[in-house]
Amino acid sequence: MIVFKGVSKSFKGFLAVKDVTCEINDKEVFGLLGPNGAGKTTLIMTMATVYRPTKGEVIVDGHNASIEQDKVKSLIGISFQDPKYDRILSAREILEWHGKVTGVEKSVRGKRIDEVLAKFGLTAESRKRTWTLSGGTKKKIENAKIFVQRPKVAVFDEPTAYLDVPSRLMVWEMIDELRDEGSTVLLATNMMDEADRMSDRVGIMNRGEMVQVGEPATLRGSLRGRDIIEMKLEVPIPELPGEVSKTEEVKEARFEGDTLKIMLSNGRGLLPYLINVVTAKGGKVQSVSLKEPTLEDVFLHYTGMKLS
Amino acid sequence: MSERPSTLFVIWVLVERDLRTLVKSPFILINRTIFFLIQLFVFAVLVSKLASSLGFNYFDFYSVGAVVSTITSIAFIIGEDLFEEEELGLLDYLLSLPFGHSLFVVGRALGGAVRGLIYVTPMMILVAYLDGYFSPAGIAGSLIVIFVLATGISGLSITLAMLIRNANRFDIIIALAELATVRVSAAIYPLAFMPKVLQPVATYSPVTSASDIVRAIFLSGYQSGVYETVILVLFVAVFFGLGSAFLFRKIEGGRFE
Repeated sequence: MIVFKGVSKSFKGFLAVKDVTCEINDKEVFGLLGPNGAGKTTLIMTMATVYRPTKGEVIVDGHNASIEQDKVKSLIGISFQDPKYDRILSAREILEWHGKVTGVEKSVRGKRIDEVLAKFGLTAESRKRTWTLSGGTKKKIENAKIFVQRPKVAVFDEPTAYLDVPSRLMVWEMIDELRDEGSTVLLATNMMDEADRMSDRVGIMNRGEMVQVGEPATLRGSLRGRDIIEMKLEVPIPELPGEVSKTEEVKEARFEGDTLKIMLSNGRGLLPYLINVVTAKGGKVQSVSLKEPTLEDVFLHYTGMKLS
Repeated sequence: MSERPSTLFVIWVLVERDLRTLVKSPFILINRTIFFLIQLFVFAVLVSKLASSLGFNYFDFYSVGAVVSTITSIAFIIGEDLFEEEELGLLDYLLSLPFGHSLFVVGRALGGAVRGLIYVTPMMILVAYLDGYFSPAGIAGSLIVIFVLATGISGLSITLAMLIRNANRFDIIIALAELATVRVSAAIYPLAFMPKVLQPVATYSPVTSASDIVRAIFLSGYQSGVYETVILVLFVAVFFGLGSAFLFRKIEGGRFE
């Protein structure tokens, strides 16, 4: 289990992580959701003992990350958001060195490297210097380090950034395998579909704070009774959110670009009425949709901002 | 799941990484090798002819100094590596690996020295051959001497890298430091021919000490004693300690934030 107890981390007066308290269970995939700059990476680096918390403590598998650094680090493997390795070296050399330094036995190391390279379709390029490879390939190598290491706590920071669809699916499948083998997975992402598909639970971070933690379905359920009507207008009319909010069932209304987004209960019943309100105010409706809350809506609800 | 590696193993793996990256930079290797050979077979031969009227064999004198100055130059690279690792975010990766920060510091300092040693070993053997010295034990002893020097220079480079936070400023300072340590020493010219004002500084230079000790091993007519050894050991103790302490403090205190 990983426990964050009132963890804060500041850099020269800037508070990057603010009083985060949460627990991550063994063998679960915990999605850490938040926009760039939300504090996800700082929280991860604090857990990995790279940063020392300014306040609070992180306990990993019973070990305090500030005191028993070596023990904590021997449990963790991090796939960084931006690939971090010697780009003068080849993929095979990078994986060989990473496996060696993280204690993967020689007898299994070579075979595991071959398997991971093959899964990512990197066998042919495995001896090229990595600085000559594409961004997506570099990212695959960054992820591959963890699949070779197979740590007890695997951290993936934006694991599918720069990847094409087949590669994303492959990474997801391999993360699932890792969890099935007994690893706890911490998945930092700003992709809702990834968090929704992969996570047993998600933590929503915004401006350094952990604003909500729960299972994706539960979080979506917390917005039950909150249907969402999206009306795309020819031209946005600023007073419309205020106007539709006069209706008792409307919980929230706002413009996102030229789309009026209305969160409400009984959306189906009120749809004709709301269209009338909009058109009466001169709004020209181009399209209308009615949908259930998504994780993106949950994020919007708790942070007041869109993730992407 | 993986096992936690031993201390010695971790130090070796950290050193191995430095070696791998050095081997993968053939341009640097070729460049410095060509420079060494030209200095030895053109510059030293030429000056040796000029100095022969003084009854002084400059070629023999310089050949040892060339190896010592080359390893000094290579050992200084470690500071640049630290800046580059920070810039590329590699330091985050290295610090997240399963070994303590203090072990990381020791590994980096030793890595700088070991790669220098491996690089100059063929040069040292060539110089021993040219100087007519064939004792394996003596050659091994001379390699130990320059390894000790390189460890201290690595410490000095790390210390400067930790004190100077700007990469451009560091490049200038490190170039000056390298120039000073090699030129204000008896590596490439005898103390007696140096300007009087520099002689006291050069006398206490660890580069002078290392050069004198190796010359005493390889060449007849040269002597060294406890004095040179003490200077060398003190230099290593101070800068290996300072470099390690500064790097450790920076890592522990939130690093280059």
